[in-house]
Order: sequence, then C-alpha cells, then structure tokens
Amino acid sequence: MLSLGTLGSGAVMLALALAVYAVVAGTLGAVRRDARLQTSARLTALAVFIAATTAVLVMQAALLTDDFSVKYVAEHSRIESPTWVKVVTLWAALEGSVLLWAWLLTAYTAVLAVTAPNTVMRPWALVVMQVVQVFFLSVVALAANPFIVLANPPLDGPGANPLLQNHWMMAVHPVLMYLGFVGLTVPFAFAMAALITRRPGTEWMRLTRRWTLLGWGFLSAAIVSGGWWSYEVLGWGGYWAWDPVENVSILPWFTATAFLHSIQVQERRRMLKAWNLLLIVLTFSLTLLGTFLIRSGVVSSVHAFGDGPVGPFFLTFFVIVSLVSISLVVWRWDQVRDRADLDAVVSREGAFLGVNVLFLAMAFAVLLGTVFPLFVEATTGARVTVGAPFFDAITLPIWMLVLLLMGVGPLLPWRRAETQTLRANLIVMTVAFLIALALAFAFGMRNTYPLLTVGLAGWNLASVGLLLAGAIVPRARITGRSIGQVFTRYAFEQKRRVGSMVVHLGVIVIALGIAGSGGYRVDQQIRLPYGERVPFQGYELQALRPFSEQVAGRASVGVEVAVFQDGREVGVLTPRINRFGTSQMTVPTPSVRYTAGHDLYLALAGAVDPQQDFVIIRAVQSPLITWIWIGGAIIVLGTAYALSPGERPLRRRVGAESTAGAEA
Amino acid sequence: MKGAAVSRWGVARKRLVYGLFGAGVLVLAGFMINQALNTSLVYFILPNEYAQQPSQYEDRRIRLGGLVAPESVRFDDLDLQLTFLVTDGIESYPVQHVGAPPELFRENAGVVIEGRFDEGVFVSDNLLIKHSEVYEAPADGHIDIEALRESLQ
Repeated sequence: MLSLGTLGSGAVMLALALAVYAVVAGTLGAVRRDARLQTSARLTALAVFIAATTAVLVMQAALLTDDFSVKYVAEHSRIESPTWVKVVTLWAALEGSVLLWAWLLTAYTAVLAVTAPNTVMRPWALVVMQVVQVFFLSVVALAANPFIVLANPPLDGPGANPLLQNHWMMAVHPVLMYLGFVGLTVPFAFAMAALITRRPGTEWMRLTRRWTLLGWGFLSAAIVSGGWWSYEVLGWGGYWAWDPVENVSILPWFTATAFLHSIQVQERRRMLKAWNLLLIVLTFSLTLLGTFLIRSGVVSSVHAFGDGPVGPFFLTFFVIVSLVSISLVVWRWDQVRDRADLDAVVSREGAFLGVNVLFLAMAFAVLLGTVFPLFVEATTGARVTVGAPFFDAITLPIWMLVLLLMGVGPLLPWRRAETQTLRANLIVMTVAFLIALALAFAFGMRNTYPLLTVGLAGWNLASVGLLLAGAIVPRARITGRSIGQVFTRYAFEQKRRVGSMVVHLGVIVIALGIAGSGGYRVDQQIRLPYGERVPFQGYELQALRPFSEQVAGRASVGVEVAVFQDGREVGVLTPRINRFGTSQMTVPTPSVRYTAGHDLYLALAGAVDPQQDFVIIRAVQSPLITWIWIGGAIIVLGTAYALSPGERPLRRRVGAESTAGAEA
Repeated sequence: MKGAAVSRWGVARKRLVYGLFGAGVLVLAGFMINQALNTSLVYFILPNEYAQQPSQYEDRRIRLGGLVAPESVRFDDLDLQLTFLVTDGIESYPVQHVGAPPELFRENAGVVIEGRFDEGVFVSDNLLIKHSEVYEAPADGHIDIEALRESLQ
C-alpha cells in the first residue's frame, strides 16, 4: 500500500520538478517572446500549487490520523492532543514550517499567474517567483523533508513544542508571518522583472501596490500577534525582549515600512528609483538572512528553534539573491539613476526620505545588535549577549523622530511647502503637543520617553485633525453639503489616504501602549498565604485554593486567586503550570485581567506544593498594555480599508498605465 | 543660459549640504551605537573564569553559568530570598536571588543567572534553568567544563 510518507514525498518532488520546468519554460518564453511557452509556464504555476497543496493535505492527513510512520508526525505529534493542535502542528517545527512557507508561495504564484495584467514584466516576474519557489521546494525535498518514512514507527510521539501548544495564538502567528514574507516576495519579483525588462519606472510598483500593502499588513499583524503570544505564554509579563527571533521578524518590517513610503515618492516625483529597488531587495533578502540566523543555531534564542539542516541553504540563497539583484541594479544603473532632485527638504518627499533613513538606521542597528555576539565570539572567543538596553537606547530616540515626522509628513505638500500654511499647522500641533505633555505630567508621568510619546500622540492627533479638516471643510463649503456627508464621500473616494490615517492612528495607539507598559510596569513576587488578602498596586490578592486539572494531552497545576478592588471581588485569576504529554518541560501559564487602564498579570513563581500553606506568585501591573493589541487591530483595519476595492483606484489604474507607457 | 548655471550651482551646493549632513548623522549614529554596545554587552562566563580575572567583570552585568551545588540551597519564604552556591567544579560562588526557586530548580540543575558580583557574592535578578539532555549532572563529582559550557549556552 502507498504510505502517506511516500505520497507526500512524491507530491513535493512533483511540485519541485514542475517548478523547475516552469522556470526553464518561463525564461525561454520571456527571452524568445514565445507566447506559448509563457502560457505553459503560467499554467504550470497552477500545477505546482496543486502538487504543493496535495503535500500539505497529505501532511494534515498524517497528523490527523496519527500516522507515526511519517517522521515529522512521529517527532512532533501525539495521539491525545486535541484536533486543533494536530492541525497547527504543521507549523510547530522546522520541516513543517518550510513546507507551509513553500505552499503559501505556490499559492501566491498561482494567483499572480492568473490575475497579473499581461505586461512585458509578467513572464519575468513569474520566473522570479518560480525561482524562489524552486528554492523552497528543494529545501523541503532535500534538507527538511517532513515525509521521511520511518522503518519502525513509534506507537506515539512526544507532541508539539509545549510553548506552542500553550496558546491558540500560535495557530495564527506563524501563518501571518509567512503570508507577510511571501506577500513581499511579489514586489521583489516585479522589481527584478522591471530591471530585466529595462522598465524601472513606476509600473512595477503600481502593479504590486496591493501585494506590498497586503504583505506589510500581514507582517505587522504577525509581529503584534507574536508579542501577544509572548505576553500570554512566556510568563515574565512582557511582550518584546529583543530576542534574535523577534529581531529578525522586525527587520524586514522596518525596510518594508520604508519601502511603502518611498515608493510614493517615486510615483509622484519619479525619484528614488534605485533606492526603492534596493529597499525591496533588502526586504526580501532580510527574510532569508533572518531565517538563516534563527534556524541554523548560530544565534541562540529563548525561543530555541534549535539547529536545523536548512541553515546553509538559506545562507547560500541569501548570498545568491543579494549578489544577483544588486548586480542587476548596477547593470541597469544608467536607467535607475535619478534625474530629478529634491526641491526642498521641507516637503512631502523630504519627510518620506527622512523617515526612510530612520527606518533603515533602526534596521541596521537591530541587525548589528543581533549578529554582534557572533563577531565577538569569532574575534575574542568570549560569549556575549547584547542586552535589551542596547536596542532600547538606539530605537527609542529614533522612534520619537519617526512619530515627529509622522505628524508633519502627511501635511506637507509635494515639492515645496508654503511657509504660511505650514507655520499655522505647526503652531496648532505644537500646542497639542504641549497640552498632551502637560496632561501627562499632571498625571504624574516623569520618565522622558513616555512623556515625549504622549506629547507626540497629541501632535499626531492634531495632525490627523488638520488633515481631515483641510480635506473636508473646503469641500463642504463649495458643495454646500454637511460635514458628515462630505466625510463619508471623502472616506469612500480616498481609501488609501484614509487607510493610511487609520494605520498612523494605530501606530500612535501602540506607541502609547508601549510608553505605559514599558515605562510604568510594576513587577514583583508576592507570597500569598491561603485565605489572606495581600495588597498589590491598589488590589488585594487572595489565594483561594490550589487546583489540578487533566484534559486531553495536558496536565495543569495551579492556584485560584481572587482579586479584590475597593473591597469588592472583581474576578478570579488562575495562574498555572502546564505539562504536555510526556514532555519534561513545564510551561508556567499566566492569567491576565485585561482592563483599559492597565493589566493585572499573575504567574506562578515556583512550584505549587500542597504541603505549603502559601503560594508565591509573580504579579505584574502593566499600564495601557492592552492598547498595543488594540493598536495592532487598528493597523490591520486601516490596511484592509486601504486595500478594499473602490471606484477611484480603478479609474486611477487606467490613468497610471497610460502615464507609465508614456514614460517608457 | 544663466538660469541653468545657477540651478546647477544650486544643485551642487544642495548635494554638498546633504552630503555633509548625512556624514554628520552617520558619525553621530556610529558614536551612539558604539556607546550603547559597550554598556549593554553582557558576558557569559563560568565561575572559574570569573576567579581568573575578577577585576575585568567589576561593575559589569554578567551571565554566570554553572550547576546548583548540592546542599547549598536555602530559601526564606518570608523575605523571598533564595541563596545557593553556583559551581563549575573548579570554583563556586554564593548567589543571592530575590524570588521563589523556579519549578525545575533543584540540586545539580544547570542554571544561568544574570546580575553582578558584589564583594564576592553574585546578586542575581534573573534565574534561568537550563534543562539540557546534552549534559547530565555527574555522579562522581567530576565536571567536564566544556560540556557544561555547551549545555548552558
């Protein structure tokens, strides 16, 4: 009988073979301008997707039917695990993650093959996508094959990594991350196609605008949800520790955010051609470099993904991608060189350029801090880590400047600002800044960065208000309609603009959450004798009783703690320690009371000993931390709004193509 | 074509200003990065490495790795003061940590503690248990330093 392992390996091999064919046919078709070969390559993209989907389905079948003859299932699944855990086990370990990544890539490529407008660039863009596809499929087939058949299958497995089983967020976060990475592969592919076809104008970025935004939105959602997962699982009450795994996820986000802004400069002013190309190359190659760093075990991480065989593959591909794409830029230098020049620093493009420099500086500093231990160990043999203070010291001042520019930039016109309007706007914003600052000070805030953040939130709110007023009031005056009507119409017509305002609002909300939780966190261990009320930050905590719980695949031991506020019971928290399957690893699982003002976060500090008449817990109070997750949701909503189809972008697209044609 | 000449001169001057500004920013950034790196580099060492050059790690935050020495653990549950000896088989140092012993904390467990030395006592504010399959605590008291170091990384 054909085993699932063989079937899966076969599907991967078939997908790989088809992808290789698609690269060859696509390249020949593009070089010879042979429409039949091009169509063949496009249709093959669909076949690759079907083969890869088969592989994923086979893996799911193996996981759900507990087929331990498949190596990946034997190593990462367990009979008694709940069904949702079995499903997400696909991305709970290295081999499955790479399979998922490869599969999403084939899905995007197939969609692109069907929907991308028929331009000179399309065949080349598909070739680039398919080259990336060949890389990922060969990693699955050669270095990290999850379908290897075991001669002596075990009766049961150890189950997925306990840290990952411990929260449903883990079902979402990795998928979002890969959707983001893969989404940003599309503009990269079109950038390469633009260079190859000598059309480094704005056409490639117009064609991929939605993909870029989609990838960026997924990546943002992935980073925020990863933070939430850390908060709910790791038990130290924080969400971001500047751990290498976190750092490499935010590196491409920095460059993608810069890219998102600088492509607008090129669209409007025909500037920054080479810069944009380099940014998207950097974004894509950083996803590869990041995967190499954390999957090869060269940097150690608390998330402990461990050593894997895929490291050399990713490093090689990273080097190839960087060399080839940078050579392409250099080769086409005559066409990508900017001919226009910045008219004035105080202009929209000036602000965008400034924010670009800031994001790149952050990316550089974070990358440096992440790999610096490698240099030190290579040169002196000493083992070091770069602590969170380094990353805070570098990124916090830069973030302040980003927030400052975020308020000014959208208000500035392209080319050159009128000094008078600008001055009036700046006065309003400065007043708002000072009012917010004074309010924060009156509420007892004294730390520099949190104070500045609150002030800059006021600055930015004023800026959004001015933007909307500037857009709506004159229209209302001319048309004689009500403000509400004009606003609705404006919001419907200017989806990108309004979407970007919403995203910026989300950024402010997150900044406030970080300021509160970072600057005013109270974290302490408390001894709670059973039955006694112990004060903590305006609360009283009372340990009621220890409990233990057995559910499918999980055993928990914990304590019920009643929470009182002003003498009234407001809830019961149940911090616990989970143990999954036969794993020796225990996962302290916090219990959180979410409120708008602050969170109360309780975690067990040690073992729960039934002989003791007390329990020791770690209590953390984090002001405003919930707003980080809410801000993340606002960013997603804003991105989705900007992406939502409307009448206007459609009309613009037609205009855009005709101007792009004229330019070429 | 006087206008063109002026604008070319203008462009050149603008480039010069941008270039100088950019260079200034780069120098400043380099300085800041260097400064920040120097102050937040945390060395990972074993007790015997500290014993060789205690002055090098004076007033520096370090990560100290080792095993929890048998029969050295004291925990005062009223003050939440945990004290124990951390050892690598060559040297051992007393450790002071505020907080409960974590779930898997036991004698001969591999630990990494973060903090500073204060007059021969390591004052820790972060205690991590390393449960590694690579390194098993020895029964005969002999500790392989390299294996220990690897297991604690």
